[in-house]
Amino acid sequence: METMRSDAAAWESYGFTAESGERKSAREILLQELGRCADPAGLSPGLKALTDYVSASHYLLVRHDASPEAGLDVVVASDWPFDMVRGIARTVGASQSRMSELEKCFSLLKPCFHHLADNVAVPRGVSREYCVIAFHVGRVRMSLLLLFPEHFILSQSKLRDVGIMTGYFASVCCEGAILRQDRDMELTDREIECLYWIAEGKTSGEIAVILGISRNTINNYITSVMRKTATKTRSEAIAWAVRHSLV
Amino acid sequence: MEIQLSAPLISEAEIRLARPPKSVRAADFVSRLQVMQTVLGAEHFAVLRLSGQGLPTARKFRLALHNWAQDVDRKADQLLGAYDAAMLAHLEASMLPLIWEGAGGNQFAVAGAELFTARLPAGVLPWSGIAFPVRLGAQGNGYVVFIGNFIAPSGDLTVDLHMQSCQILIDMLAADEKKLTPAEALSEREIACLQMAGDGCISEVIAEKMGLSVHTVNAYLGTATTKLDAVNRIQAIAKAIRLGYIT
Repeated sequence: METMRSDAAAWESYGFTAESGERKSAREILLQELGRCADPAGLSPGLKALTDYVSASHYLLVRHDASPEAGLDVVVASDWPFDMVRGIARTVGASQSRMSELEKCFSLLKPCFHHLADNVAVPRGVSREYCVIAFHVGRVRMSLLLLFPEHFILSQSKLRDVGIMTGYFASVCCEGAILRQDRDMELTDREIECLYWIAEGKTSGEIAVILGISRNTINNYITSVMRKTATKTRSEAIAWAVRHSLV
Repeated sequence: MEIQLSAPLISEAEIRLARPPKSVRAADFVSRLQVMQTVLGAEHFAVLRLSGQGLPTARKFRLALHNWAQDVDRKADQLLGAYDAAMLAHLEASMLPLIWEGAGGNQFAVAGAELFTARLPAGVLPWSGIAFPVRLGAQGNGYVVFIGNFIAPSGDLTVDLHMQSCQILIDMLAADEKKLTPAEALSEREIACLQMAGDGCISEVIAEKMGLSVHTVNAYLGTATTKLDAVNRIQAIAKAIRLGYIT
């Protein structure tokens, strides 16, 4: 009951009825500004404009579809001090894999605040807290991590604006880069079809009947999936497929 | 060209639900959508949710909520017939709202932030419209669609409506999720075994890590499978990830 009420409150707080004209025009101006930056070279100035809109000081845009071994490849763009980026890249990956798929769905576009570890050196005047907003650009989940000045409270409604607008901006700016990455380890339609039936609890024999192909062919598909996804067992391959929302 | 700002609302616009109504929640969604529809100056709304898992070709949009009254079948067929494939592909690749212009001289659709919207081919449908893509993650993805003769949201309004569209689909998923939970909760041991099985461990390895016998591990996985109403271990893992028991 409590959660429902807080949902309603959140709904009110960013509805247009409750908003002042000031935020609206600021948002319009920001959109125009982003429009001028809308090409891959404009990624940094665009993100800077988004950062300024919420009065934050530094931005870091990461993608969550990369493998855990990708290291710094998860970083799409950043003006955080490099040592902090190196430290945070691992934390971000770990925090994502701790979340369940449903939690990920519910946390979309909700600004969350986290604390930096104590051993991280922070630039003078910057708060040890940082804000994370997650969004999806097509299949790819991305997060914007913002640093902000000490003793400063960011506006929740502006942070939500930034979530949507960063999504728009990234949809335009990162398009090429994202699609290219996706094609690398693509499974074939047949392989995905097999995965789907396995996740539904069917055995190879049953799938052979459903798809009208031989049982050995099915097993070959599965082996090929396990090779492509670097998984050791059938269970792990299915878990991988569910996590990547393929089935 | 005579531009009609907002068509007179059909006085007894009947609200019907595609599924048996869940009283309060459904009414709540409808009233929110109606506010959005009014602000946009549209005539109708529809919420499309992506159902069916597995192959991209096996996924299709299901009309979850709408106010098309008696016309529903024809209009839904028209909309999906025209743009189904384009909308599916767009949801996989981008977060930008889709906008289209209907056929005929009195149709008008233009967005304030033209650069941050994607256009569908014009003149295919008798009405214009805008569709906000919402990709939450593993499930609950879809579109919130508004149709009318004159669709011209400012950039600012687009951002607002998109934010609310996201919230609507998040809340719908939350409402769904309540009835998905299995009758009997999984025990800690069962969850731990499932998690390791999903991470690619075979029973022997799980037994060693947990200091149990292989038979006990298999028994835990067996009871977990029963509780999750799955037919085998692999389906149990898939379900457990979707329900958020394991990651």
